[in-house]
Amino acid sequence: MTSGTRTVLDMRGIEKRFGDVKALGHVDFDLDAGEIHALLGVNGAGKSTLIKILSGVYVKSGGTIAVGGVQHELGTPRAAIEAGIATVQQHPELVGDLTGAENIFLGHEGARPGLFGRIDRADIARRAEALLQRFPIQIDLSRRVADMPAVDREIVAILHALRLENTRILILDEPTSTLTEREKASLFSMMRMLRKAGIAIIYITHRLEEVYEIADRFTVFRGGQKVACHTVAEARGKAISIPVLMLGAGGGLTFPPRTGRSDGAVVLEAEGLSADGFANVSLTARKGEILGIFGLVGSGVDELSKALFGAIPSSGALRLEGRDVRFRSPAEALRAGIFLVPGDRRAEGLTLDENVIFNTVAANMSRASLGGLMRFGANRRAARELAQMVDLQPMRLDRDLRGFSGGNQQKVVIARGLYRQAKCYIFVEPTVGVDIGARSRIYALMREISKDAAVIVMSSDCDEVHGVADRTLALYKGRPIEGAADRDQLLHAGIMGGVAA
Amino acid sequence: MSALTADIPQRRRGADFLMRYAFFILVAVVFVAFAILRPTFVTPGNIHGMLMSASIAGLMFLGLTWLIAAGEIDVSFMSVAALANMVTAALVQDGQGWALASLGGLGAGVAFGLVNASLVAGLRLPALVITIATGALAASIAAAIGLGTSIALNNTGFVGQVLGLRVGVLPLIAVIVAGLYAVSWFVQERLTFGHYIYAMEQNRAAVVEAGVPVNRMLFMLFVLSGVVSSLAGVLLAANLSSGQPYLGTSYFLDGLTAVLLGGMALKLGKPNVLGTLAATIFLIGLLNGAALLGWTDSQRQIVRGSLLLVGVGLVVFARSRRKT
Amino acid sequence: MISNRLFIRLLAFAALVAVIAAIFWSQNPAFLSGGNIRALMRHMSVQGLAALGLTFVIVVRHFDLSFPGVASMGAMTLGWLIASGAPFPAAIAGALAVGLVFGLVNGIAVARFGLPDIVTTIATGGLAVGFSYFYSNGTSISQNFFMSGILDLNDKRIIGLDMPFAILMAAAGVAAVVLHASRVGAGMYATGQNRVSARFAGIATRRLIVLAFALCGTMACLAITLLVASSGAANVTAGGQLLMPAFAAVYLGAALFGRPSVGATLAGTLMMSTMLNGFTLLAIPYYYSDAIVSTVLIAAIAIFDPRLSGLLNFRKAAA
Repeated sequence: MTSGTRTVLDMRGIEKRFGDVKALGHVDFDLDAGEIHALLGVNGAGKSTLIKILSGVYVKSGGTIAVGGVQHELGTPRAAIEAGIATVQQHPELVGDLTGAENIFLGHEGARPGLFGRIDRADIARRAEALLQRFPIQIDLSRRVADMPAVDREIVAILHALRLENTRILILDEPTSTLTEREKASLFSMMRMLRKAGIAIIYITHRLEEVYEIADRFTVFRGGQKVACHTVAEARGKAISIPVLMLGAGGGLTFPPRTGRSDGAVVLEAEGLSADGFANVSLTARKGEILGIFGLVGSGVDELSKALFGAIPSSGALRLEGRDVRFRSPAEALRAGIFLVPGDRRAEGLTLDENVIFNTVAANMSRASLGGLMRFGANRRAARELAQMVDLQPMRLDRDLRGFSGGNQQKVVIARGLYRQAKCYIFVEPTVGVDIGARSRIYALMREISKDAAVIVMSSDCDEVHGVADRTLALYKGRPIEGAADRDQLLHAGIMGGVAA
Repeated sequence: MSALTADIPQRRRGADFLMRYAFFILVAVVFVAFAILRPTFVTPGNIHGMLMSASIAGLMFLGLTWLIAAGEIDVSFMSVAALANMVTAALVQDGQGWALASLGGLGAGVAFGLVNASLVAGLRLPALVITIATGALAASIAAAIGLGTSIALNNTGFVGQVLGLRVGVLPLIAVIVAGLYAVSWFVQERLTFGHYIYAMEQNRAAVVEAGVPVNRMLFMLFVLSGVVSSLAGVLLAANLSSGQPYLGTSYFLDGLTAVLLGGMALKLGKPNVLGTLAATIFLIGLLNGAALLGWTDSQRQIVRGSLLLVGVGLVVFARSRRKT
Repeated sequence: MISNRLFIRLLAFAALVAVIAAIFWSQNPAFLSGGNIRALMRHMSVQGLAALGLTFVIVVRHFDLSFPGVASMGAMTLGWLIASGAPFPAAIAGALAVGLVFGLVNGIAVARFGLPDIVTTIATGGLAVGFSYFYSNGTSISQNFFMSGILDLNDKRIIGLDMPFAILMAAAGVAAVVLHASRVGAGMYATGQNRVSARFAGIATRRLIVLAFALCGTMACLAITLLVASSGAANVTAGGQLLMPAFAAVYLGAALFGRPSVGATLAGTLMMSTMLNGFTLLAIPYYYSDAIVSTVLIAAIAIFDPRLSGLLNFRKAAA
């Protein structure tokens, strides 16, 4: 694949300003037909601004865009689609009760468009068939989307983007974030097939290992500028470090040093714990150390965390400080001393339209109130103290959570946990959507918390689990796998279900 | 494993079939019971009266059915009918002909439909609170027209004549409403319009992204609701030979009950026009039969409330089953 | 900065009320007479209590359309108990119990069984109306009212305030403490905004939703008790006049102050009552009152809708 031969997209000197703020400064970007081009950068680096300009959501402030050699303005989503650029959102919008084919051709059911066209189901089936002939992939498009696995829904969304003959550029925004490893493989095989059909794919991801697995080239953004563009072969050959490119010099993840102790008092103990999603998990969490559990999406980690927290019913033995316990609700688990930092903090962790103080004290109303009444002064003081401790940026206690970045929202969830003064903290996917700068701070906080409490970290990021934990465990298809001695063995255990010899 | 998963839809399909048609069996059982307990229930006069009431009510609930199916709500429909009823009656009493009076009543309903449509579909304001407010406005104007009381009419004009016409044994109006419902069923099941109504309820963003003019559809639905409600109001002016400012209250519960209970028929919890028609006939028959059995107004009111609760409960049950 | 914004909103609200009052005063100087202001405060009391109850339900992001019907049944229960010779505190307790029971039923149906709030409360409200006919077959009840002492609820004065207004102030005080200064209120706001995260914070979301509905039903019955006390009779349509003003007050208040709260609801009630009282003074017939309230409500929602006001700001910035 030599670059520049069949350039399908050529963006020159693209700028985007919001008032005085420059989100994107004079960026060049090009794309060849039939290539998979990864777009990388921490949050706020400018990659999503570029994508929004390309998909017509934002109007560029300056620069030129040529698609297939023709100049385009792309001021609206419609103009982008007409130019042959299709976008698949991170969470594609589908109608559950309609079939895959009906979703793909939603809005184009009839021979003629409009609200009162006759629906021609045979024709829809024919067109779906034709689409599958152009892009051969294994999928039953006559199934209800609600009954499909996540990857099939993703494929339906991609086929929807490709239903127009003229689509030449496909933008995929973090499509793997909700897929299992097996599903990811079938998505990747579809992407390779599209590449062969000449479609150019812009692929946005936070998972760096996927770049080497699927991409031909990658472009890195930092601070609204393009800092690098390499082919993957180049990057391999010259041993280019993508994290360094993303963070600038001195970047890369830093994990706090391990204590090397594993003799702390046992806090939480599970024996033969089973629930919908995992079975027969035994684990021990001790004070003074971090237990890491590596499991891909769909492996049962999310369910395990919720079972330990009483949010879903489970069977088996659970002991807290040696006493048998059974939690029927999160409230009971909290009272007993378990705190969960949930995987989806926007949906499960925070009240986004309330301020930092409210969110900090929300999980410990008994401490935040006296005789049922809120202790406003004391709560503000406590929230300030904890916000300083977690290094909240900006330090605005009266601002609603919606106004903070993902990393800082996560810090508030941690502050909430600290305010709770729990005995055992469970972190699930603690750094999803958190930029690398804030990550290190969050890892350091976990280590600090582990001095006084047991900490369990569950993540689908193997490096994270390996880097931060003292002891590790993998979860594969709901089954615990122990005995991984190093990172590669842990990865192998979580992906293949066994410890490599 | 595969045998297991193949087995579940099979069993579910059986249960689904039962749920789809159970409602019709219930209607048949109840009506037969009434016929046995009170033979007057099946006299031609009584059946004619029930068909008449069901036709007018069915007309009124047509727009509501699709609005609820699309995930919206309209709680102003019965007040719009009352307003159209009062406007018509007032114009007739004023010496205007029935033609002009009917147009006036319809005009009032269309105006309210347009107001609802502009505020909810146009400006995207919350449907419930807006239609509570426009409903109260319509009811208030209806009461003001009659200075707080009803208007008695001494002639029912050509509208009364039309209501009196028969096709064979059936009232003409029943045939017309049945035809209207048949057309609506076609629109709902065979045309894109109906397809989008149900898609909209599930995921409006997806339908918008597909380029369907969702707001225009909602606009049309609210206007439709205004039109059919006011049409029913005009017919009621002739049917009751009077303008009744407070006639809305009794249709409110019935409308919601018909739509939700009817949603259980045929489409497993999704409001649909044939279900609404069947449930309307059921409700009219039930209340009529109960009256023949000597039930008081309050007892019938309690039956209405209970049926609505049952309808809601069934819809929620059916949906939760379908999700898993 | 937050308090600054609140100050501007308060100022805008005061200006609005002043303008409305000035208009009525110019039409009829009696509007600002002591007697009329007392009448206004009485009117506020009934509407305000019902609206306060509804505020709790709106805070947990639900709707209650049953309270008018429930209030009617509460009124008839009160009337029947008094007519059959029960002491009036017991009669009031009976009325409030009706509100409480229906509120609990609504709350449990919605929070525990996941039924949709709008249609469910319409149904229970319909049931309540049906039950309210049982006591007297629908005729109004006023026997024994004079002797029972219930009329004192309307006529007595306490620390210089008419009893109904004193009750409203006391109820508003309690409601403000519950909603804005207690863990219950904090839990309700958390529940309303994000059910799942509230549950994960150990907040008993279902119980709080049930509580909100229970408070709504109970306060609607308290409101109707004052109305019965002032009219001297209980009838089956008594509750009907609560629906519109209560929704208008809560939404108007929330529109004025950015979100539903006790203060916002009181402000909304004050504005609605000022207008209704003014129009009554100008001899506008009763059947127009809903028209006025609903027009104001529609205007308030439209004007204060964030997108529309955002549009206005944008135009201002562009100009």
